[in-house]
Amino acid sequence: MTSSRTSRLPLVGWRVPHVVLSLWTLIVPLVVIWVVASAVSNLLPAASIDLGYALATLIIVVAMWSFIGNSGVLSFGHLAFVAVGAWTMSLLTINPSVKSSIMPELAPFLAHASANPYAALLIAGVAGGVTALVSGFALMRLHGLEAGIATFALLMLVLQVLTYWSAVGPKSGQSMTGVPRSFDLQSTLVIALIVVVLAWGYGQSRSARMLRASRENAQAAPASGINITWHRIIAFAISGALAGVGGAMWAQTNRVVQASQFGLDFTFTTIAMLVVGGMLSVWGAVVGSLLISALNHVLGLLENGMHIGAVVISLPSGSRLVVVAAFMVIILIFRPAGITGGREVTWPFRPPDPFLRRGPADPGRDEQEMVMFQTDSGRVG
Amino acid sequence: MIPVIQSLIDATSAGAVYALAALGIGLVFGVLRLANFANGEIITGAAYALILVWPLSWPLALAASVVVAIALSLLMDLAVFRWMRSQSAASLLIASFGVSILLQRAYEGIFGVNVRTGAVAPALTRSVNVGGLRLSMLAIVAIILAAVLLIAVHFFLTKSRMGLQVQAAAANFREARILGIRSGVMIAVTLGMSGILAAAVAFVLTTQSGAVNPTFGVQATLFGLIGAVIGGLNRIGGALVGGFAVGFALSLFTTWLPSGFGDFRVALVYLLVIVVLLIAPNGIFAGRTAKERT
Repeated sequence: MTSSRTSRLPLVGWRVPHVVLSLWTLIVPLVVIWVVASAVSNLLPAASIDLGYALATLIIVVAMWSFIGNSGVLSFGHLAFVAVGAWTMSLLTINPSVKSSIMPELAPFLAHASANPYAALLIAGVAGGVTALVSGFALMRLHGLEAGIATFALLMLVLQVLTYWSAVGPKSGQSMTGVPRSFDLQSTLVIALIVVVLAWGYGQSRSARMLRASRENAQAAPASGINITWHRIIAFAISGALAGVGGAMWAQTNRVVQASQFGLDFTFTTIAMLVVGGMLSVWGAVVGSLLISALNHVLGLLENGMHIGAVVISLPSGSRLVVVAAFMVIILIFRPAGITGGREVTWPFRPPDPFLRRGPADPGRDEQEMVMFQTDSGRVG
Repeated sequence: MIPVIQSLIDATSAGAVYALAALGIGLVFGVLRLANFANGEIITGAAYALILVWPLSWPLALAASVVVAIALSLLMDLAVFRWMRSQSAASLLIASFGVSILLQRAYEGIFGVNVRTGAVAPALTRSVNVGGLRLSMLAIVAIILAAVLLIAVHFFLTKSRMGLQVQAAAANFREARILGIRSGVMIAVTLGMSGILAAAVAFVLTTQSGAVNPTFGVQATLFGLIGAVIGGLNRIGGALVGGFAVGFALSLFTTWLPSGFGDFRVALVYLLVIVVLLIAPNGIFAGRTAKERT
């Protein structure tokens, strides 16, 4: 939360400028990502493949945060933009001769198109953003569960089209192979950091603040002259663009792209990351995605059988998602606002804020109230 | 003329199945505000029971599938949703998504990734000729089964004391409690009913395909959930009609789309869903009072 503007350092009369307080919420996540990535690539070279996936997923989760976190509207559809981004990246960077052999029915302008990786990345972002913008005009008038289901319908629609329309991809159900690995880990890390900066920067904007106001109170915000639909469309387009970039990075990490990869399991994993970290803050998105990625890596090792001394521990395959799902459900039950409580990183030298809310808009905090509701009414009306 | 009637009958039977799925979801949503994604895994569980037990004895298999479905439905609530009553509908939906993925992997661990095949009610897979119409027995049975269950649910909800209490709980849970309706019992009854409906869906689907795999129930639940939403989640009848419409449209598209576009039938259904939600954001039958759920 960036609600309190200044704070006193203890013992010193100097007020910390507001700029420092809000930059702090950006710098800490960046440093954490950088430290984690450097530590993993230096200390655990075996984990560097998973690190690439982790960074690509981080981009996707941060992109989802910039819509879900600011608007409070659930979206199951962001994987659609991820898929569009992955598709764009693949079509633009696969070697033309390979392309013509695996996708013979490709539309001519796509068959001849190619771009250098950075341009392809940008175009992937634009493609994701435009898809989100166009669908946003239709979807952003919806609220609550209906919005969640409609975005889900969008995902399925996009996946069906990508699966079956051979003018934009391979023949039905087949995969695009031979996507070149365009970025090394170092540049992947830099791109991930840039995406976090962009998402955070959007979060500081006037439009995002208005959107958060509408999230907290859907009646008071329009009464104050905020056009919720319009700001939701903006957020949706921006997060769609970032998700497109995430998809492009994922495509060049995975190197094989198929529409079915962007289905329920992937959607679930990214949503679980957001929920575990805390949906309402970019810090939550970062923490959640790094944590679940680390968990995934460890479980992956265990699935392959890990030697600890003389004992071999091995889990059945598929136990990764079981553990992640169980973890998410437990977090939802015991800490519904996520590990970070949906807060940004706070300046550590802050005196206790007397205005820190304990109200219903902040479910992580009001355990007392929750217990009351459970025993009293069973649910909130 | 005959192909038209033929396709309408097929579409009606497909619609009936999805209507049952949507009704189960709509009932639970009305009382618990839980749009249960994991309904699909209840269907899958019942389907495994049917396929594995059928060779031993068919009445036992039917009973087993109903028992498994009800037990799964109650267990889910006991383990997860019971602890989240004060949370938003969106959180509940996410949690049920988690439960769904978890159970899918559990089925994978227990029964293997591959499909399990087995003939369930082989007598129903035949078809009969009536005046040039080729009627599959299963289509007729599906329509009759759905009709019977729907009428039973309707009478239970409107005529019996307990059904009226369920309706009261669905309309306003808090007030119903204040008036002395025992919420725990209402929730259990609703979950039990959704379990029975899921078992019925499983019966029709397994008879049709004769095979079950860990993601067996996902498709029916997706369309049921989507149908319930476009019909209007807070009206039980709306959910029912929405589910029916989705199944009906899907089946008609399958029959009548020209061959080049046949692959896009599912995409078309989703497109239709988005269009319907644009015209009626709260669902077709939601009425005017439904604006609150943001």
